[in-house]
Amino acid sequence: MGKLTISIPTGRMKEESLALLSRLPQCPPLDFVNSRRLVVEQEDLPWRIIFSHPKDSSTYVEFGAADIGIVGKDILLERENEVYELLELPIGKCTMVLAAPLSTSREELLEKEALRIATTYPNFTRRYLQERGITANIVFLYGSIELAPPIGLADAIVDLVSTGKTLRENRLQVVEEIAPISGRLVANPVSIKTHSKEIYLLVKELKGVI
Amino acid sequence: MELVLGMKDSYPREVKRKREMEFVLRNLFEKWGYEEVEPPTIEYYSTLENTLGDEAKERVYKFVDRNGKLVSLRPEFTTSIMRMYSKKEMRETAPHRVYYVGKIFRYPSSPLRVEDELTQLGLESLGKNGVDTDTEIIALALSALLALQELGIEDFMLDIGHVGIFQGVLSSFPLSPSEKLSLKSLLKKKDFVALEKFTSISSHPLFPFLLHLPFLRGKREILEETKKNYPLSPPLIDTLNYLGEIWDIISDFHLEKHAFINLGLIRDFDYYTGVVFEGFSPRLGYPLLAGGRYDELLEKSGSSLPACGFALFLERLMEVQKESIKKDRPPFISIAYPPVFRSSIFALAEKMREEGIPIIIEEKKGEDIQVLQGKELVYQGKDEEKIKTIIQERFKSWES
Repeated sequence: MGKLTISIPTGRMKEESLALLSRLPQCPPLDFVNSRRLVVEQEDLPWRIIFSHPKDSSTYVEFGAADIGIVGKDILLERENEVYELLELPIGKCTMVLAAPLSTSREELLEKEALRIATTYPNFTRRYLQERGITANIVFLYGSIELAPPIGLADAIVDLVSTGKTLRENRLQVVEEIAPISGRLVANPVSIKTHSKEIYLLVKELKGVI
Repeated sequence: MELVLGMKDSYPREVKRKREMEFVLRNLFEKWGYEEVEPPTIEYYSTLENTLGDEAKERVYKFVDRNGKLVSLRPEFTTSIMRMYSKKEMRETAPHRVYYVGKIFRYPSSPLRVEDELTQLGLESLGKNGVDTDTEIIALALSALLALQELGIEDFMLDIGHVGIFQGVLSSFPLSPSEKLSLKSLLKKKDFVALEKFTSISSHPLFPFLLHLPFLRGKREILEETKKNYPLSPPLIDTLNYLGEIWDIISDFHLEKHAFINLGLIRDFDYYTGVVFEGFSPRLGYPLLAGGRYDELLEKSGSSLPACGFALFLERLMEVQKESIKKDRPPFISIAYPPVFRSSIFALAEKMREEGIPIIIEEKKGEDIQVLQGKELVYQGKDEEKIKTIIQERFKSWES
């Protein structure tokens, strides 16, 4: 059986992911932070590495294009991919929150008649609102969510917050912390059977360096 | 004239490959003493309601019949077959060994996937339980995949597990019913990160066993290793011993090469009560075959019938078929003739067909007879004897 294929997200989590993996015993240096290569196959590496869009990492794993992958919990909550969630990683830490303009109080917000919430996580937001019993229209956006409330597109947003700087600069505040988010190691349900020894070992070694 | 969303047309090349698979599998099942049955395409939704899990229920095609009763396109065959064989007279003449082939319908987990309609071929042994029946079914699952090797299904594996493992672990934990439910849902979602944070049981001696389950996979030795490494309860040990018994019989049949014991095997359907198994290929991210024992499937409807079976997913098997097998059939031979030759060419074509050579005949204008293979002109003239030999030679050359 060939080497494991691991999917690593590009963008913010790429550097952290590579740094974490290079802490593993006997791991050769992983100097791909600034590389634009999308697939890395090297003799001295224990895995074949693919670099995928952060929102796609778990999809590669779900379909078996990668055996294992690193992905943010926010993506797993949104996509609900059928993968094994094996390990919480100390990378990509932030919080999923409901945020609204400083001028709107929590009560005012929840009592609005036609509440509109902007987000890049429409599935997750719909589930969250349903669980909380809040009726709202969801506005799906691709990014710069903080722009929506001040411009009047939405009353509130559901988005990730790490330091809170972007929220503050756009005169927004956290109304509710919904879920803590961090990186996860995930595995394809078939790969975890065909490569159970290798994946087990990787999980064990990662636990040792976290 | 749009194709219905989620549905798929199959053209000759693909259908031929599918029929080849069906042929091999039907043959095998017949030789083991299984007979084909044909349940209807639709069932009352209330029949399925008792056997499907919540998520599966949402994914069933539903509509109303002329009396306003809710009916469903079958999402699988097992429930229909159990309905057929739970009749009193059928139970009295048990055991029954049956197989089926046909389409199943379910909305896929994502609306972007085109797999609302899939072909399943499977079998059920009804009316008997015990290690003999379980082993017969597993041996047949292994034999089915082995038989498909000649059609280019290679490097497959069959994982064997048991629902008694999770049940045994769950019942060892002192949990409230609601905690049990959320633990079950985490297991189903395979979220071991959240599972690890299930603090109310984290100090329980069996907790590490639960967390390691996805990795407890191997040949027979995994059973002894597990017994040595974890403080298992007597029911868990019994379950492991049962899997050991199955393994030994499979080995005596010399079928263990592609088999693995997998203590963490989780199946989606809620109705399994005993052994469960899943066949897959490292080349595909989802199972090719799935099955197990479900003795209590009819319990909710007040009758009981022990049963064990499995189904193969033909479209998925075709996905892992080796490319070389997918080769094209050479184009058909056709004879175009002027009306004067009508009787003799028809007789000639019939003779060729009797020999097993497919022939297309068409009338045309002009004086000569033309023999074509696809668009290639093979012969033009009036010599019918020559036409016969040319066709026979052509056919022989593409058969070899």
